[in-house]
Amino acid sequence: MIPRFSLARPGSLEEAFADFDRSGGDAAYLAGGTELLQVMKMGLGQFGTLIDLKGIAELRGIARLVSGVLRIGATTTHREIERSAIVAGHTPGLASVEARIANVRVRNTGTLGGNLAFAEPHSDPATFLLACSASVVLAGPAGRRELGIADFVLGPLFTAREPNEIVVEVLVPAAAPDEGRAYDRIAFFERPAASIAVRLKVADGSISTATVAVGSLTETPIVVAEAGALLGGAPIHGVGFDMAVSAAAVALGGVDAVADLNGSADFKRHLAGVLLRRATGAAMLEAIGNA
Amino acid sequence: MHEAVEVRLTVNDETRALRIEPRETLADVLRDRLSLTGTKVSCDAQVCGACTVLVDGLAVSSCTFLAADADGRSVRTVEGLASGGRLSPVQQAFIDYAAFQCGFCTPGMLMAATAILEEHPRPTREQVVRGLEGNLCRCTGYDPIIVAVLAAAVSDGSDGEAGS
Repeated sequence: MIPRFSLARPGSLEEAFADFDRSGGDAAYLAGGTELLQVMKMGLGQFGTLIDLKGIAELRGIARLVSGVLRIGATTTHREIERSAIVAGHTPGLASVEARIANVRVRNTGTLGGNLAFAEPHSDPATFLLACSASVVLAGPAGRRELGIADFVLGPLFTAREPNEIVVEVLVPAAAPDEGRAYDRIAFFERPAASIAVRLKVADGSISTATVAVGSLTETPIVVAEAGALLGGAPIHGVGFDMAVSAAAVALGGVDAVADLNGSADFKRHLAGVLLRRATGAAMLEAIGNA
Repeated sequence: MHEAVEVRLTVNDETRALRIEPRETLADVLRDRLSLTGTKVSCDAQVCGACTVLVDGLAVSSCTFLAADADGRSVRTVEGLASGGRLSPVQQAFIDYAAFQCGFCTPGMLMAATAILEEHPRPTREQVVRGLEGNLCRCTGYDPIIVAVLAAAVSDGSDGEAGS
């Protein structure tokens, strides 16, 4: 059973900050509850007050901003993102990432902001958004700040968010015309055992630049710079492509993977190498399609 | 100091005003306050799907969904599927195609299937499989369930023989 708590239902960020103050710090912000309520049930967290953010209109919705950036309100559910025509047009990779999270019930309830703020090491969106150079906007009583995913997710279940700060939105840059972004994962349970996000640009029959992010292997998603560098300059097909992908997969062998229920560190690194090949191919197809 | 909250839910088309503790889950309220025990709780961790109900038409795990979050919304449970003494097409198909054995997962399966059929009135097999992938059954091996959902989509809802 969930330990007792009082429920606050603010209608604005200012009211939410006031609710937090009134709690004397003994409060947690609630969005979908798919992580928070589970933690409380398991006895791993107890709060005098839960402050429900779902009534705050500013935290909802999906829009393509004039700047071309995709703006997703923090309490937008995975399912809303999965089914959004705006997301499908702007960052199709994100729609498919969201469509594969957990199960449909979790996607109908869980939110993108909640997922990122919980910082589960096996988070699908965090890995993809890291490769996309997406950012998270936080609001607190003192003002707002925008952090890249790497500066926001600091460790397993640990972010840069202060206890009274609220994740307002996630900002995803638009792909460049010659750019593709893809994600692939393998999961034996509901969360992935290994996942890879690749963002690359193609020019004149070659990959010009590439970013490789690895998820679920390590305690937080990380960019493996060496793997991205090895893909850069590779031709988009043939033996040269195969050699570059193989070299990049070897570079993943240096990732400090953590053994878990999914398997040993070596096994997870192997999975990441297989996924790297698939995700690189998918990102390249998107880049060629965008060019 | 932990104040009760007033909620007004529409459960199977009936409005219910309740005074509850904030920590009560939707499954708690359905089963213990409204005596709607068709909804089962098994894993209590959003993995098995036994507790699936629909909130505003969307499948959720009622074991990990605050009843307070259903305030002002429409909840449907397995008790609401039959109408006028007639089983819903998907319920009838579960019987016709032997889509359950012990039956513990069945209410959740039926609600998940109902959500699939409302979103995709003529679903592909893949859409059914994807929609049910979070609902666990330890008896049937799943195939009869998938077949039943596909059959329900093309049935006219009348009681009848398998394959009609």
